[in-house]
Amino acid sequence: MTLTQEHTGGPAATPPDAEPVVLATYGLTKSFGGKLAVDHLDLTVRRGDVFGFLGPNGAGKTTTIRMIVGLIYPTSGYATVIDHQVPRDKKEALKHIGGFVEVPAFYGNMSARLNLRLMGSLNGQVEEQRISEVLDIVGLRERADSKVGDYSHGMKQRLGIANALINKPELVILDEPTSGLDPQGMKDVRELVRELGTGGTTVFLSSHLLHEVEQVCNRAVIINRGKVVIEGPVSDLHPEHSSVKLLTADQGKARDVVAALVGAQNVELDEEYLIVQASDGAAREMVAKLVAAGIGVDAVIPAREQGLEDFFLGLTQSSDVDTGGAVGVSGGAK
Amino acid sequence: MMLLRREFTKLIHQKRSYVGWIGLLAVPLLVTLALYLNRNNHHHDNGPGGVISLAMHNGLLMPVAAITLLSAFLLPLLASMVGAYQLAGEAETGTIKTWLMHSISRGGVLASKWGIAIIYVIIGLALVFVGGLIGGALAFGLHAPALLSGQTVSISHGLGLSLLAFLYVLAGIICVLSLALLFATMTNSSLTAAIAALVVFIVMNILGAFSYFDFMKPYLFTSHLDAWQNLLSQPISWHPIVIGLITFAIYIVGLMAVAWYLFRRKDILV
Repeated sequence: MTLTQEHTGGPAATPPDAEPVVLATYGLTKSFGGKLAVDHLDLTVRRGDVFGFLGPNGAGKTTTIRMIVGLIYPTSGYATVIDHQVPRDKKEALKHIGGFVEVPAFYGNMSARLNLRLMGSLNGQVEEQRISEVLDIVGLRERADSKVGDYSHGMKQRLGIANALINKPELVILDEPTSGLDPQGMKDVRELVRELGTGGTTVFLSSHLLHEVEQVCNRAVIINRGKVVIEGPVSDLHPEHSSVKLLTADQGKARDVVAALVGAQNVELDEEYLIVQASDGAAREMVAKLVAAGIGVDAVIPAREQGLEDFFLGLTQSSDVDTGGAVGVSGGAK
Repeated sequence: MMLLRREFTKLIHQKRSYVGWIGLLAVPLLVTLALYLNRNNHHHDNGPGGVISLAMHNGLLMPVAAITLLSAFLLPLLASMVGAYQLAGEAETGTIKTWLMHSISRGGVLASKWGIAIIYVIIGLALVFVGGLIGGALAFGLHAPALLSGQTVSISHGLGLSLLAFLYVLAGIICVLSLALLFATMTNSSLTAAIAALVVFIVMNILGAFSYFDFMKPYLFTSHLDAWQNLLSQPISWHPIVIGLITFAIYIVGLMAVAWYLFRRKDILV
C-alpha cells in the first residue's frame, strides 16, 4: 500500500514549521549486547504537537523514551528537549518533562497526595492547590488520601498522568497511557490527551494502537525494529483505499462487475465476501452497478478499521526488508 | 539536603524501618534482662566478655555491652538491608525510574540514599543507647563506672566514652552499608545486594579469624570493628582507634566511588 499523495504538504491540523522544536532526537541509537534496539532514530516534535509514537510491541518505543528522559544512555546520538541536550544536560531537560515510562510506579505506603507532593517538589514548588487540581483532572480527588498500594491498575495509570502534569511541563511523555484501562478509562485518557494538546502542551504519546493515535494525535511516526518507517501528519497514515466487503446473490458475477469499475487488482473474493479496495464513496456506485446488472446486494460492510490494521502490519513487517522504498514518506516531516 | 529530606519522608513511611528499629531497641533490654537474671552466677570464664561483665555491675555500661553483641551480626545485617534497599528496593517497585525522571542528578540521588541509610543506622544506634541506659539503670543502677583497666571515672566521663564508642561503631557499620549500596547499584534485587554485602562481611570475618591470613588482617575493615574497646582502658591507646578510622574511611570512599561510577551511567531498565 502507498500513502495518499494528496496529503503531501500536510493538512491544516499540522502546526506550521515555524513552531519551535520541543523534542528532537538525532541519530539516537541504543544497542543491548550488540543487538540494536533503537537504530539512528531522528524525530522532530514541535510545540503544540500531540505526537503519536507508534509501533508494535518490541519496536523500541520504550527504549527511545527511556533515552529521552535519561533513564538509559544512548550508544550514540542524543536528544534535545527545548534547548537542552540529553544525556549531557539531562537535569535541565527534565525540568521541562512530565510523564511516565511503562507502568507508572509510586510509593505504595503513601497517599496519592503525598506521592504527588514528594515527586512534584523535585522539580520546583508545588502548591497544594495544584495537587488537588491534577487529582481532579484525572478523577482521583476522592481517593487522594488513600494509600497508593491499594489502588487498582487503572487508578495508578491515572495517578501517573496526574504526576506527569503536576509541574505544568512543556512536554508530556506518556508511554501507552491507556494500556490496561477499561473502555471508559481509555476514553477519558484520550479525551484528556486531546485537551492537553488543545491547551498548547506538547504531548509525546507512545502506543501500539493505530486507531488510538488516529483519534488523538495530529502527527505521528511509526517505528519498527528501532527505525522510523514513516513520519508525518496523522491524516497521511491512511491506506490509499478503504476497503468494503460485499455480499451479493452471485459473488462471481459481482466480481466482474466491480472489477470493471475499480480494477481487477483491487477486488478479491474470499470464502464469504467480496473484498474491494476502493476510495470512500465508491460503494454507492458499486451497488448501483450491481443492481443495474441484476445482482441482488445482501450486504455492504465498510471495513476501514481492518484496512488500517492491515496497513500498519504491512508497514511494520516490510520495514526490516526496506525502510523507505516500499512506503512513501510523506511531506511535512523533516 | 532537599533530596535527603525527601528520602526521610520515604523512610518513615516504610514499615520495615520500624521493624529494624524495634529490634535494636529490644536487644539491649533483653541483654539487660538476661544479665539481671544471671546476676548471681559469677563464672566469668564461660560467661560473656569483659565489657559485658562490667555492665553487670553498672547499668551505665549497658549500651556498650549491647553494642558488643550487636556489632557482630544484627547491626551489619540491618545496615546491609537498609543500604541495599535504597536503590535495589526502589528498582523492585519501579519507583527509582519515577524518581530519576525528575530534575535531579544521579550523584545527588546516590548521596542522599547513602545519607538516609546512615541516618537510619544513627537512629538505630541511638535506640540501642537509650534502651541500654534505661534497662541498665533499672536493673543495675547508674554509677560512676569502673573501666576495663580498673580505674573508676565519673558518670559524665563514662557516658562520653560510651558515646565515642558508638560513633566508632557507626563508622565501621557505614563500611557495611556502603558495601550494600555498591551492590545495590549492580542488581535490581535488594535481597541479592543485602546478601552479597553480608557474604563479604562474613568472609572478611573468617579471613580475619585464621592466623594464616594474618597478613591480610590490617586491610580488612572487619578486623578493626572492635577497636573502640580501647576507649575503656586508661590511658586510652588511640593508635588502633585511629588506624581503624582511617581504614573505614578508605573503604567508605573507595566503595562509594565505585558505586557512583556504576550508578552514574547505569541503564535503568525496570
